[in-house]
Amino acid sequence: MLESFINRALERNLSKMIGEEGSVSLLMGNEAIARGAIEAGVKIVIGYPGTPSSEVIQTLAPTAKELGIRVEWAVNEKVAIDIGAGAALAGSRCLVTMKMAGLNVASDSIISIAYGDVNGGLVIYVADDPAAHAGMAEQDSRFFTKISLLPMIDVSDPQDAKDAIVEAFDFSEQFKIPVFIRSTSRVAHMRSAVTYGPVRRIRRAAEFKRDIRRFTRASPVWCMEQHRILNEKIEKMKPTFENSKFNELSIPENNTGVGVIASGVSWNYLQEIVARHNLTKVATLRIGTINPLPEDLIRAFIDEVDRILVLEEMEPYIELHLKAMIGDVGKHILVYGKYDGTLSRVGEYNDHLVERALGKLVEKKFVEENFELEEIREEASKLAPRRPLPFCPGCPHRATYTAMRQALRELGYGDGDAIITGDIGCTILGMHPPFNMCWTEVSMGASIALACGLRYAGIDKPIIATIGDSTFFHAGIPPTVNAAWYNTNIVIAVLDNRVTAMTGHQPSPGSGYTATGEEAEAIRIESLLEASGVKKVRVVDPYDLQLTKEAFIEALKEKGPSAIVLRRICSLVARRMRLIGRPSVVDPEKCTGCQLCIRTLSCPAMSITADGKMVIDLATCTGCGVCAQICPFDAITPWRS
Amino acid sequence: MIKEYNILISSVGGQGGITLARIISSAALSQGLKVRVGETLGMAQRGGSVQSHVRFGEDVYGPLIPERRSDVLFSLEPAEALRVAKYIGKKTTIIMNTSPYLPISVMLNEATYPKIEEIVSILNRLGGRVYPIDAMKLAEKAGSSRSLNIVMLGAYMSLEAPILTLEAIKEAMAISLPSRYLEQNTRALNLGMEKMKKLITGL
Repeated sequence: MLESFINRALERNLSKMIGEEGSVSLLMGNEAIARGAIEAGVKIVIGYPGTPSSEVIQTLAPTAKELGIRVEWAVNEKVAIDIGAGAALAGSRCLVTMKMAGLNVASDSIISIAYGDVNGGLVIYVADDPAAHAGMAEQDSRFFTKISLLPMIDVSDPQDAKDAIVEAFDFSEQFKIPVFIRSTSRVAHMRSAVTYGPVRRIRRAAEFKRDIRRFTRASPVWCMEQHRILNEKIEKMKPTFENSKFNELSIPENNTGVGVIASGVSWNYLQEIVARHNLTKVATLRIGTINPLPEDLIRAFIDEVDRILVLEEMEPYIELHLKAMIGDVGKHILVYGKYDGTLSRVGEYNDHLVERALGKLVEKKFVEENFELEEIREEASKLAPRRPLPFCPGCPHRATYTAMRQALRELGYGDGDAIITGDIGCTILGMHPPFNMCWTEVSMGASIALACGLRYAGIDKPIIATIGDSTFFHAGIPPTVNAAWYNTNIVIAVLDNRVTAMTGHQPSPGSGYTATGEEAEAIRIESLLEASGVKKVRVVDPYDLQLTKEAFIEALKEKGPSAIVLRRICSLVARRMRLIGRPSVVDPEKCTGCQLCIRTLSCPAMSITADGKMVIDLATCTGCGVCAQICPFDAITPWRS
Repeated sequence: MIKEYNILISSVGGQGGITLARIISSAALSQGLKVRVGETLGMAQRGGSVQSHVRFGEDVYGPLIPERRSDVLFSLEPAEALRVAKYIGKKTTIIMNTSPYLPISVMLNEATYPKIEEIVSILNRLGGRVYPIDAMKLAEKAGSSRSLNIVMLGAYMSLEAPILTLEAIKEAMAISLPSRYLEQNTRALNLGMEKMKKLITGL
């Protein structure tokens, strides 16, 4: 059953990705990145799931066997980049993918890797998330080029993304340096037509020659030499990057000294508004090469204009450079962007915001504001009820938080008496009603160490850290060792649903299979907890509320760190594998309409009928049976045909 | 030549909004149109609000529909039409499923769900033309509530001069939907088409 589930998942998209040169396909930005990797003759693709970057590896996994590419999920981004760097040292082309938060995890290695050489191309794909659609920081990873010095191309649409990957591998090998490709959610998840290029077949014998001076760092003299070489590489790359197709300068003959610089998704908004209002006189510069920046093009642009609008989401990266360059030229130029408040550093851009900014630049009012209609629009938006994300029907985490709450109540702790530190992934949804139980969310693995810090500060209430299985493997082990080392009194709850669920059910080291569907060692979380020094480790099925509650009560009574592994497969995966139970049904005779089930569980399969009684939607219910354990009137029973 | 045509699909995760966007966009591509689709993914299966922006035309570049410029809004859930009010303008045709998918906030009495008449009335005030359809009922008649998105698509195909041909849509459905449900979905498409014909002649 597992096999058929995996195979079905893998077959999706297979034929699409192996299209011939010249064929056209509607691809998502991330699928285009995947196609680009195929065209570049990549040998290894590795990363850690993270919205909005995950689809690259998901798309490539089904092609792995056919094309002889090694496609893997790594335990975390640092491991991924280190494997990528190792492969590149031995001459293989390697693509490493991550979201912006993952870049921070990988950064320790990346900064060091930059000091050496790569022999095979090493391309790092990082996806940022303006407007925090996936709910993390609005981090502008372009600034990582300032720390690592590494080159970066910012892509604007799927075709651009595919082309950039192919060229980035060539740049990487030509200059023996890792190259960043950066996108944002709107580009990564945009679909448009992509024309396929030829697929290169690269066959190289693996070879890595000893050169200790280039590849070790523990000598200040060598390090500074490596730093000097890195700077030289960037200097040497300048003309290649400057003249690449990722920068486009257009200065119309009849331009009136007004220009726009745009980067990333904003380039699309600009082109559309220019077409809509027929703004043929405006000079434009698209900047794709974020590092090194196309300084000659920028200078040529500055020469022709005296008013510039800069369109870039998040931080004023280009604007800052532009201002410095204007200062060097000594010309008086008005710059509209973040610093003057024309556009915001917060959230994402859209057509409306860009149209208004362009209106300011060319001194025209493009948008007729009809305030009466605006008021109705606002009224309409306010009428729409909020949709906080619930746990899915049958989600084992719903059962875990329910049992945890029951245990705390039984020990005399009311709502808000115990502190629960949450972590990244589906487990954090305990922050929403009706639970409101996750107090904090910092980064992968942070829940455990944060709990320790609270204890150190003198908090004397129960402290529980909740963390998912994939998150635990990723960054939860070192803080567990630390908690055990200093015998810190916290409860570590590993909510083990067997997959990396939030990002699309990718396998984790505990799943027992790989990204490409091969059987693999299922790493045991309980063994890792024990080996980390946690003396008491319990494994329970959260669907059994009574046993789970008892496990929490015992764990909360212990001094020192204790751990519970709450093991039950993600209900969405269970549904696809046809492992779900029969739906439960409500006996309307027994249901008193007390609605305790809805107030306690808020399962999307539940609703209230006109007479105030609970009813379960048969198509949505997975038959987890948790509601039947909650009902004080035994009104809920498993479905019988 | 089409310069700009915008279809917005507003739905709740799990209702099939993203699949609907895939069918429409691949039909458009097969008709030789320049296509751009913008989607909010990641929380799609988890009962959150999901919007797909499907755009065609020579002057289309951005992944999102500019405010007020939707030609068609598919609202797979009534209140989800309100959430995207800023994209509705005078030329917007709204096809709205009338059966609600209640959010938890409403079930917990922390929020109220507006009446359908109230939703239709406010959408009318925005200038859009609204076609309310009990697509859930029709989908169930076709075989399963899961065909709700295809009922809505059928309704669209009966509108005056839809840009997409029925042939292209049927082809895209065959590619995008599981073959074992194709018959059920064809029934759903037809039921949606019939319903819209009746609505139009009744107006």
